[in-house]
Amino acid sequence: MTTASVIMDDVTRPQRPGIRLTPEQLRARRARSIAIALALGAFVLVIFAVTIVRLGSGVLTGPDYMRPVQTTK
Amino acid sequence: MSVTLARAEPSVAGVGDYIELMKPRVMSLVVFTALVGLLVAPGHVHPVIGFTALLCITVGAGAAGALNMWYDADIDARMARTAGRPIPRGRVTPGEAAGFGFTLAVFSVVSLGLLVNLLAAALLAFTIFFYVAIYTVWLKRTTPQNIVIGGAAGALPPTIGWAAATGSLAVEPLLLFLIIFFWTPPHFWALSLYRAEDYARAGIPMLPVVAGEEETRRQILLYTLILTPLGVAPWILGYAGPVYGAAALALGAMMIALALRVRKERGRHNASKQLFAFSIVYLFLLFAMLLLDRMSGGLLGHFAA
Repeated sequence: MTTASVIMDDVTRPQRPGIRLTPEQLRARRARSIAIALALGAFVLVIFAVTIVRLGSGVLTGPDYMRPVQTTK
Repeated sequence: MSVTLARAEPSVAGVGDYIELMKPRVMSLVVFTALVGLLVAPGHVHPVIGFTALLCITVGAGAAGALNMWYDADIDARMARTAGRPIPRGRVTPGEAAGFGFTLAVFSVVSLGLLVNLLAAALLAFTIFFYVAIYTVWLKRTTPQNIVIGGAAGALPPTIGWAAATGSLAVEPLLLFLIIFFWTPPHFWALSLYRAEDYARAGIPMLPVVAGEEETRRQILLYTLILTPLGVAPWILGYAGPVYGAAALALGAMMIALALRVRKERGRHNASKQLFAFSIVYLFLLFAMLLLDRMSGGLLGHFAA
């Protein structure tokens, strides 16, 4: 199949039936999507802030069992 | 045989419709009373943890509101006061409201448990369960005591705030619970007196519909007489200073005066409307005075002494 025939197929293929959103529905969906994105962003920030408050600098050192064992000479 | 699959119409619900589903006015009172519970609790709460707790309680209250609107969509459509809500208006489908409510409920409870503490999360889960399953699904359509027992859900937020701050419970948050619990009947029955026809049309057995106006007016006065000493109790028990005590006495006296006017009123509902409006001011000022008293560190008491 050549490139030309693929393009021809796209042009000649009848449009498939499906849900076509009205301008109002598109606007509402966009607004909902933005609100969900903002809510998720806020949720991430809350988790981050609480993690820092709860663990403090410990967040960088990890739990005790992962730290190298101190040996005495 | 051909099968036609039903296809859902794409949603036209905007962000405002979803916010409306969360009952923002109810939510504001929940946030305020939870904030008071959080701040009057002993000890220090890190601002980030306090903010997270309040956010979870707010979202949990919103989830309960959305689930209430989902279940009550049929009766909401029959009442003038609620016919404009998103589901009866056709802006949000019942399925969308249910999904929204359940998602927020799970998110708020799990977040509160993981980020703050398990007792607060358990209390929030119980509050949502009580409001949706016990009040909305069971009591609201079956008994005139619906708002009396169901009022427990609305009375719990300061207790959740206290639990979020301390990880435990005490007598003081129980007192705050009791104040809101006994405030709820006079508040809602005052409203139901002048909305009785609406409730009757929707088939909700509110007290004026089932027992009549006379009995409702009597019960409003009885509950107000229990509420007023409860409002003063934080001062009597030594949890708050004399300025709070004086404010609680003055506000309580005003509530009783209005309840007496409601008791005497016949045929008209002016006093009922006044009592409904003032009851909101009463609860707000009572909790604000308690907060002020605690924030000032007894300073208000020194001025009064």
